Amino acid sequence: MSTIAAAATSWSNGQKIAFRIAFIFFISLAIPNSAEWYDTVIHIDWTRLNYRDLYDIARFGSGINIFGDHLFGSTLMGYANWIITLLISIAGGLIWTLIVRRRGTERKEYNTLYYWLRVVVRYRAGIGIIGFGFTKLLPVQMPYPGLGLLNTNFGDMTAQKIFWLSVGIVPWYQVFAGVVECLAGTLLFFRKTTTLGAILLVGALGDIVYVNFAYDGGVHVYSSYFVLLAAFLLVDDLPKVYNLLIRERYTVPVTFYPTLSARWLRVTRIGLKSLTLFLFLGVLFYLQLINFLYDPYKQPAVAGVRTLRGNYAVTEFRLNNKVIPYSPLDSLGWHEVEFENWSSLSFTVNRPTPLDLSNGGGDPQQDVNRTFEITGVAGGRRVFHYYADTVDKVLYLEDKYKAIPDRRNRAGDKAGGRHKGRRQGGDDNGTAKAGISGDTAQGPAATYTSGLEKTPKEAKGKSWIPATALAHIGKEVDQIDPRAASTRRDREYAAAKWEKRNRMILRYDTIDNGNRVILSGVNEKNDSIYIVLDRIDKNFALTESSLQAGKY
Amino acid sequence: MTTDTINANQTAWKAYEKFAFRVLFIYFFLQAVPLDWKYYQQLFSIDWSHLGYGAIFDLAHYEPRWSSGPPAYSDWVILLAIALAGAIIWTAVDARGGGRVTSYDNLYYWLRVIVRYRLAIGMIAYGFIKLFPLQSPYPSISNLNTNYGDFTRWKLFSLSLGVVPTYESFLGGVEIIGGLLLFYRRSASVGAFIIAIFLGNVFMSNIAYGGGDEVYSLYLISLALFVLSYDAQRLVNLLLLQKPAAPNSYHPVFRANGRYVRLALKTVFIFFFVILYGFKTRSGYEKDPYQFPLTKGLRGAAGIYNVSQFIVGKDTIAYSKTDSTRWQDVVFEKWATLSIRSNRPVVLDSDNVERPELTSDARTYELEGSAGRHYYRYTVDTVDHLLTLQNKNPHYSDEKWVLHYDRPGGSRIILSGVTTGKDSVYAVLDRVDKKYLLEEARKKGRQGTISL
Repeated sequence: MSTIAAAATSWSNGQKIAFRIAFIFFISLAIPNSAEWYDTVIHIDWTRLNYRDLYDIARFGSGINIFGDHLFGSTLMGYANWIITLLISIAGGLIWTLIVRRRGTERKEYNTLYYWLRVVVRYRAGIGIIGFGFTKLLPVQMPYPGLGLLNTNFGDMTAQKIFWLSVGIVPWYQVFAGVVECLAGTLLFFRKTTTLGAILLVGALGDIVYVNFAYDGGVHVYSSYFVLLAAFLLVDDLPKVYNLLIRERYTVPVTFYPTLSARWLRVTRIGLKSLTLFLFLGVLFYLQLINFLYDPYKQPAVAGVRTLRGNYAVTEFRLNNKVIPYSPLDSLGWHEVEFENWSSLSFTVNRPTPLDLSNGGGDPQQDVNRTFEITGVAGGRRVFHYYADTVDKVLYLEDKYKAIPDRRNRAGDKAGGRHKGRRQGGDDNGTAKAGISGDTAQGPAATYTSGLEKTPKEAKGKSWIPATALAHIGKEVDQIDPRAASTRRDREYAAAKWEKRNRMILRYDTIDNGNRVILSGVNEKNDSIYIVLDRIDKNFALTESSLQAGKY
Repeated sequence: MTTDTINANQTAWKAYEKFAFRVLFIYFFLQAVPLDWKYYQQLFSIDWSHLGYGAIFDLAHYEPRWSSGPPAYSDWVILLAIALAGAIIWTAVDARGGGRVTSYDNLYYWLRVIVRYRLAIGMIAYGFIKLFPLQSPYPSISNLNTNYGDFTRWKLFSLSLGVVPTYESFLGGVEIIGGLLLFYRRSASVGAFIIAIFLGNVFMSNIAYGGGDEVYSLYLISLALFVLSYDAQRLVNLLLLQKPAAPNSYHPVFRANGRYVRLALKTVFIFFFVILYGFKTRSGYEKDPYQFPLTKGLRGAAGIYNVSQFIVGKDTIAYSKTDSTRWQDVVFEKWATLSIRSNRPVVLDSDNVERPELTSDARTYELEGSAGRHYYRYTVDTVDHLLTLQNKNPHYSDEKWVLHYDRPGGSRIILSGVTTGKDSVYAVLDRVDKKYLLEEARKKGRQGTISL
């Protein structure tokens, strides 16, 4: 093997300069660029984990952002951060070259440092894609559509919604996609399988980049990020394959592995590697399984009132005691009603309403903030979350729509203000289009510390639900399976305050085993409403999967 | 570097290797070379003066079948049995010294050529109908106005692809590049690798969404893996085991004439299945996309209409989402299709096999896998103002109506006549200026503010 070692003992000047630039560039891209990430990781309660804790470790904003994320006044669709980082890396690489030459300390090669740079990139990419992949492997990233979505016209959705749903309707396919992503990530943890993992990653994520551009999915920068890292890992292999197959030459792979002879080095290496595998394959799988079974993160987790669930035709609608006959042109009455398996009431009204065009992702723990059912959906659809007092049969409903949504993208949005008062188109998992910004983990305390506008809170302690009803309703935070309890959930519920939202208080009476439901009470405008609903058994052409998230 | 020994190793075939090769040779030969008489029936029935891309697509979509139904894995089993029997006979003959093959390397080379070309045209056939987004067109007005849950999975897959023509083109581009790489020996394995990964996803999609090309996509994957297997050992050595790897050392030798024949055949093949087919699909995309009928609809009527008044016999029926006779809305497409939304159940037309249809009447993509609406093709009699309607769904083929149409104002159409049920029907349709979030969000972006 002496020839192999010989090939690596001396690098050309060009190679060395390129390496110095690449080193600064990829290290910058591989470490979190905001203090919030570190703060979050420090505050993780390791005794009662939520899948999102590990997910947040795996997903963070990176790249050099001390000079902002704009180039020529534009984020260049989010890629400006890369270019800025590259420019700084070029400058840094040249300065580095200058210094080592002046001091006469220039090395012949960077084999060892290159090896460790590849280790950093491999683990960054591997952990990142596994964090992503597990939300598909246990299919929760793209939920199966609820009744409200099933009853919405195809044309009344954004392209982004259509794509997400097209994966959501085939959970087993989503599992397959998750397996590919997790497999690619796992292969990156081992140096001999790195090439295979990197090829898989380029293939899978390259497609996702294109999907995000085409459907305006918003995760194009983050998915390109993996393509970039994987491409870096393949840089050495492509010339070899070209040499072997196209030029038909005998090809000798040149690989350099440092010898870790010291005992403590070997122990450290094996320890860190084992820890990574244990955390991101073992523990994360378990947490994600719990999430899939009891708390699918985009769907409300608390079960809806059992007797109410289903599709309903509006047989009679009275507004302030005046009957409003059904007409598709009428703008006052409700036209159809669905009670979901979870704590949501969905109905349609033929009156324009501002829409939430985000993608309903992020990490909200409270059911009222889980908005996948309304995001990217028109057609007059309204969705209200309810707290059910099943003793007195009253629903306390809150509109899922908020004029100013919670800031989902925190650490990556330092440039600030750009999304002020506007809906973020952002991503699946909370990232807007600003750089490789992660939806970095947040303790609830940090949630509202940003300078962005936020939905006004009502005075603390003032409840719109009477005390007796609150007692009947119980604590929502505890109404999921105890196995899904986590400190993250507790903290967010504890910090929650009533927000300014549309509200209704409706009494429900069920007749004939819930085949007829009568809702009566006051709507969000304080008008009295009286609605007679008759259950419809719908046979959807879309067939449900054997794999269903959540326990309702 | 001992290239000599490597060469020697490659040419010396062991007995079991020879047997395995004989099986594979017969198997893949039968899979790839069209021997089915139906194929030639198809070939000779082509109207060469009006050659369309559909005909070329069909020629490139061959898969041997033992029954008339859709392709099945059982067809493969039969081929494998034939290949086994053939290999046993071959081995016996060979042992007696008859028909001895001088070079298995040579035979292997030619088998790989056949499989490469077969696979290449299969990929390119699908590639071009995606590059020019024909396979999954932009949803029709009726499709936009159908509830999500009223579509089958397969239809939703196609509609979801149809809303992003650029993505569809990208996928087609990948298929074409993979196919083109197969035309050259040295790049064949790279192409086969790209194709295997791409089709792996297609195969999984077909299973998950209930598509009709599950067997066919696995068939193409098997061809790709066969092509790739030639270089697999080398690539595993180089990339996984990180050991030195020896290149392919077999090069076909052509005599002077052979070289020209090869060049001519290759040129003709590529011209027909790539260049000509590419041009045909492009003009098809511009002039006659195959999923929707070409026949023009009632002039200036395209759109969705609210049914303001609806009378059956003498009874006016009020708006209802539950009544099975009450029309809820009516769509006139740009082409001669009218669809009616009502609560009358639909027995699905669940065709899901890809087939470019030539005649407008045979084009039923718009209603395949779709409930919620009934679809009618129609002819217009502009003199007597009559629409002759025919339900497009094969399950309702006896449903034929003649309706009189009246257009009193710009956006109103009044239909009257007798339906199949012998009831007289009178419907006042008023066009709705419907805004679709799908399109509004595309114009303004998801960062914008939209009220709908």
